[in-house]
Amino acid sequence: MTRKKRSTLLLEILTILLFVIFFSPFVLLLMNASKETSFEVLTDPLALTGTFAQLLTNMEEVWTSTNTQYQQAFVNSITITTGSLIAIVVASSMAAWVLVRTKSKISNLIFLLFVVAMIIPFQVVMIPLVSWFRTLRDVTGIPFLRSHFGMIFAYVGFGAPLSIFMYHGFMKSIPYELEEAAEIDGCNKVQTFIYIVFPILKPITITIMLLNGIWIWNDFLLPLLIVGKGTPFQTVPLAIVNYVGAFVAEYQFLLSAVLIAMIPVIILFLFAQKYIIKGMVAGSIK
Amino acid sequence: MKKLGFFASSLLAVTALAGCGGSSDSIYMLQNKPEIDAALQAFAEAYTEETGVEMKVTSCGGDLCQLGTQLQADIAAGEAPDIFVIDGIPAYEQYEDMIADLSEEPWVEDTDVAFKVDGKVVGFPVAIEGWGMAYNKDLIDEFNALPGVTTIDVTELTNYDAYMEAFEALDAEKVALGIDSVVSMAGGAAGMSWVTNDHNFNSLLSAGLEYGDLSVVEDLLEGTVDRTRLGYYADWVNLLFTYADETVLRTGGYNEQVGAFAEEKAVFLHQGNWVEPFLGDAEATFARGFAPHGVFPASVQETDGIFVAAPSWYVVNAQAPEARQQLAKDFLTYMATTEAGHKYMVEEAGNIPAFKSVELSPTAPLSVSVQEWAAEGKIYSWNQYYFNGDFRYNELGPIYTRLANGEITPGQFETLMTIALEGYPDFLANL
Amino acid sequence: MIKQSSKISLFFKKHQKSLVFWGFLAPALLAFVFTIIIPFFLGLYYSFTDWRGFGTPEFIGFENYIRLFTAGGNESIRFIYSLIITFVFAAINIVLLNIISFSLALLVTRGLKFQNFYRVGFFLPNLIGGIVLGYLWKFIFNNVVPDVTLLASGESFLMLADRNTAILGISLTWGWQYAGYLMMIYVTAIQNIPQDIVEASEIDGAKFMQRIRHIMLPMVAPAFTVTLFLTLINSFKQFDVNFALTAGGPSTEFQGLSLWGTKLISMYILDTYQVSLRPALAQAQAVIFFIVLTVISVIQVQYNKRKEIEA
Repeated sequence: MTRKKRSTLLLEILTILLFVIFFSPFVLLLMNASKETSFEVLTDPLALTGTFAQLLTNMEEVWTSTNTQYQQAFVNSITITTGSLIAIVVASSMAAWVLVRTKSKISNLIFLLFVVAMIIPFQVVMIPLVSWFRTLRDVTGIPFLRSHFGMIFAYVGFGAPLSIFMYHGFMKSIPYELEEAAEIDGCNKVQTFIYIVFPILKPITITIMLLNGIWIWNDFLLPLLIVGKGTPFQTVPLAIVNYVGAFVAEYQFLLSAVLIAMIPVIILFLFAQKYIIKGMVAGSIK
Repeated sequence: MKKLGFFASSLLAVTALAGCGGSSDSIYMLQNKPEIDAALQAFAEAYTEETGVEMKVTSCGGDLCQLGTQLQADIAAGEAPDIFVIDGIPAYEQYEDMIADLSEEPWVEDTDVAFKVDGKVVGFPVAIEGWGMAYNKDLIDEFNALPGVTTIDVTELTNYDAYMEAFEALDAEKVALGIDSVVSMAGGAAGMSWVTNDHNFNSLLSAGLEYGDLSVVEDLLEGTVDRTRLGYYADWVNLLFTYADETVLRTGGYNEQVGAFAEEKAVFLHQGNWVEPFLGDAEATFARGFAPHGVFPASVQETDGIFVAAPSWYVVNAQAPEARQQLAKDFLTYMATTEAGHKYMVEEAGNIPAFKSVELSPTAPLSVSVQEWAAEGKIYSWNQYYFNGDFRYNELGPIYTRLANGEITPGQFETLMTIALEGYPDFLANL
Repeated sequence: MIKQSSKISLFFKKHQKSLVFWGFLAPALLAFVFTIIIPFFLGLYYSFTDWRGFGTPEFIGFENYIRLFTAGGNESIRFIYSLIITFVFAAINIVLLNIISFSLALLVTRGLKFQNFYRVGFFLPNLIGGIVLGYLWKFIFNNVVPDVTLLASGESFLMLADRNTAILGISLTWGWQYAGYLMMIYVTAIQNIPQDIVEASEIDGAKFMQRIRHIMLPMVAPAFTVTLFLTLINSFKQFDVNFALTAGGPSTEFQGLSLWGTKLISMYILDTYQVSLRPALAQAQAVIFFIVLTVISVIQVQYNKRKEIEA
């Protein structure tokens, strides 16, 4: 074997090995989520005694158990995530467009404000946020806490800076002539945006939706503070923690719950992996 | 643009309506015993069917949820529960403004252990609970049947020396008995420190003292530490740690600790009769009962009793609307005075009832054992809740864990505990 | 009527640009101001009071901050410890995670078969939430590893029982999730290296390590700025894995005080708020955290930018 071929083969083997090691937690998860009792899991986690049928049974039990309201949490997560993604995309694209197209001091200032705010860590606003939202609720009657609305509103606020930043960069490369042509044809600004600009943004929109989607679906701290653990509006990560704390944890169910929580994001990702990787990397290097 | 605005505002309106919770015919109850959650949920559902009142019950306890934290979050969000739990004077003082007067409730006469403050009754006793050193009688018998051993008589396990001998002897026969360790003890992991800094800490506070004797507590509240007593206590803690399974002790959660006992991998368990539902689920059929904590050497003092009390109380939120308060009170009354309520408390949740009129008796072995000790009057009080929870968890908890990890000796443990306890008045002043 | 509507349409026409500007900006700006800006300044204010989370707070000046830096005070000792341990955690991550992800990136840009499959595979853990990740790895460290090491060497290894290995445990767990993301950044950077330079160096006989040092690293330098920045920031903001994996972890000793050893700064702040029930103090901690974070990230980016230019 030539030296090059040998080194390539070695690299292949090394990569496969690393890959297997990397994947082993997933395997362990599957193995133990398919066991029948918590004791089986605890006494020998490496035993291959689970069956696929048992896995489905466990997942069904988690899904239907009234103790944890997992179903409800799942629905909440889907509602909140979808609502937030739509809201973030609409709000950020609109905002970024006017910021890009308007050359004024105010426009630059506001854009700078968004960018600088990305540095502010969540921890420094999380505590006052709760009482502020409560004040808002008391004053306006709109439920900012313990509601879908509050979560979506907060996610727009937190997601806007980065999304606007990414849209901003992308939009700079859209030739202004397109919009000029539309205006000459009689479109007003709003129509220009909706029919001409927005469709061009599709690639970056998908990236932004996926990036934000992953983060929002898995987010724990913000929902913990705004909707609370164990409430009707809790999201999936909260339900999982609630699960563990609500009664003496049965590992086979906990692991099944963990597995179910992973599925939507994995499916989403597999469908659109090309877009994520391209767009996310491009955005970060900028 | 206009279309957007209209759409947005109608969306707002719809979500606002949807978010409107707290109808007048529902109550929210927050409690802290994960092991009765299933039974309580079923009971609440039955109550809803019977009365039409919506019950929302959340259980928060064990090693991954703290009731205090959850309660704070609920209060901060303006959704405080209608019924929640307090465990002592500090907790009462913290939520004083939120606790309703229950002196006029029908069940008050039926119990001796309601929570009373300034002459008024404010707390509904959840259950009588007891804890000590739970032991697996079958394993002890098996041990005694082994050739060449000095038999162990559990009734003599009332002091440090007896326990030391017993632990050593059992440890020597680990293989024959098929156990991993003599004692199943947890507390090293941050979420399990309630086993050490709450329960085990109580051994220091009341073992050997008459029921209701608060002399040690009062001294400590002032920062006066009895170092001799603390020294014996340090040795006792160290003994438990030495004969415990390392994995369970240092990283084990609730599951692992009780599980080891349920699977007969340990002879003794440092928990109380509240673990019975879990043992039942695990189909643990071995005979079991409670033995005392042997804190002091035989020459100093015998401690022939286990810790029994009504350690927690349901309280009603005085700041909730009157209608909800009444619904909450009705629920508690239902639990205490009806047959369904008695059945739930004793048979479903496995509690030892705190009410004299209840005729049912729990059948779970550990609960029976607690009742036997109580009947003989051989009981010590639960006093750890006289101390602030944050102090117990953040100041004392780590010291126990360091001993469990072998980082400090019992002597150093005693010194560090002394420093921490002497600083308690300052801690309170700084709050 | 006609006059009115034409007045209105004139108004719209005249101010169309302005109306569109503010109208389009409003939703994002409103949410942003309400969610970040206002709470930030509110929090700043609260940190100078004795706020209890509700009710009216009383102004107490710098008392909270003083308390956090009073030498010998338990609160100060714990807070400083938390900052230091988070620093250490970040430092470990910066080295460990980036070596691993850079190596993985090198591996998956060799033109091996199934390259894309590997890339996706290494990236997959990134999709899993921190809490879920933490519980999964807690299960692995507490229940699987002891059994395996017991079989292999006769002694159970308890990763999470010792403060040092517990911190490493958090690093590994989070690293498993984050390495794929960093790897992708490196992959793109590597792929952007002009092929002719690489080929020229191969022809010139440069060895693999030389090629890495003299060609690759300089060209990849901008990516390093980004990845190190991200690793640093996210190490400091780490909460989910910390909470689920160690819950503050085993105890240790610092300046004579026994305390919980793996409470990273985010968890520490939240605990002060929710467990110790002292929101104002927690907020002061958060403000200091913000200042510290801003300072070190500015330093890091400047340092890296300089290196970029040098390279």
